[in-house]
Amino acid sequence: MNKLFLLACAVFIVGCGTPATYKDPQGRELVVSLDKVNIQDFATAGSQMLQSMISSPSFSNGAPVLRLGTITNDTADNFDTSLLLSKITVPLVNAGRVTLLDNEPAADASARPKAEYVLKGKILEDRSNAGSTRQSSFVFQLTLVEVKRGVAVWTDEKIVTKQGTKNAVGF
Amino acid sequence: MKTLLPLLALGFLAGCSTVLETGDRLERGLTPPDAVNYATTRPEGGFTTQLNDARIGNKIELLAARKSKTDGGYTRVQFDLRNGSYLRQTINVSFEWLAADGTVTESQPNWIVTPLEPGALTTVTATALKATSAECRLRLITR
Repeated sequence: MNKLFLLACAVFIVGCGTPATYKDPQGRELVVSLDKVNIQDFATAGSQMLQSMISSPSFSNGAPVLRLGTITNDTADNFDTSLLLSKITVPLVNAGRVTLLDNEPAADASARPKAEYVLKGKILEDRSNAGSTRQSSFVFQLTLVEVKRGVAVWTDEKIVTKQGTKNAVGF
Repeated sequence: MKTLLPLLALGFLAGCSTVLETGDRLERGLTPPDAVNYATTRPEGGFTTQLNDARIGNKIELLAARKSKTDGGYTRVQFDLRNGSYLRQTINVSFEWLAADGTVTESQPNWIVTPLEPGALTTVTATALKATSAECRLRLITR
């Protein structure tokens, strides 16, 4: 009987766990990590900053020529900053709201338009804890600089803060 | 040792995600599903709502929807929301844009999480990227 019970327990342990499934990357059941920037954090910060940026006077008319500057990752987490930039540039380019300069040199350099604006920024983090509760804040800073005058014509900061004792699924 | 092993196995089971999933299902069975609710602006002004989560009506009030045009001619909307309950609520909003013929022109790829204290008002704003976007559909869930 004891052997049977032990065997049953072992079977339970082996069978335990959640099999991997596909999730909607825009959905509500994504993993929320306390120690890293999640894919939905880039989407949230990116889309909110996009909304802020298109409300600036620089984007009121036409399709200004935009060049992507440096986005500094000043966090302990290693990620590609294009995860943030793509949330801004993809909708803008596809809607015809900006002319985005490619990083590759043009075949006909004289035909290449000159950048009117440069988008640059920084991603920072702040961590703190109280007892077993951990809090991580990721700060996304972006600035749009008018090349001709060398002045910032738009700047914004979005903070994504997560708090808890362990990673979880969904919001 | 013989009594320790089953205890150890039970300990493993208690920490395993299958048990948590069962709890999650139980909770969902006891409470109504947190369905997505919609508010859509109308060409003639104002808005229409589609409430799929009956609980939200007692918690979040949609006070007004304003529609305007930017200098470039793009549609901009603002929705005023109020937490009418006695408890802190967390609302999650997202936007979809519709052309005049009803086709979806733009969709926001994420939810914006907004905690609301009891009685607190908030205004959520969205500006269309495309000139064809005429009406805005607000998607709203509470958690």
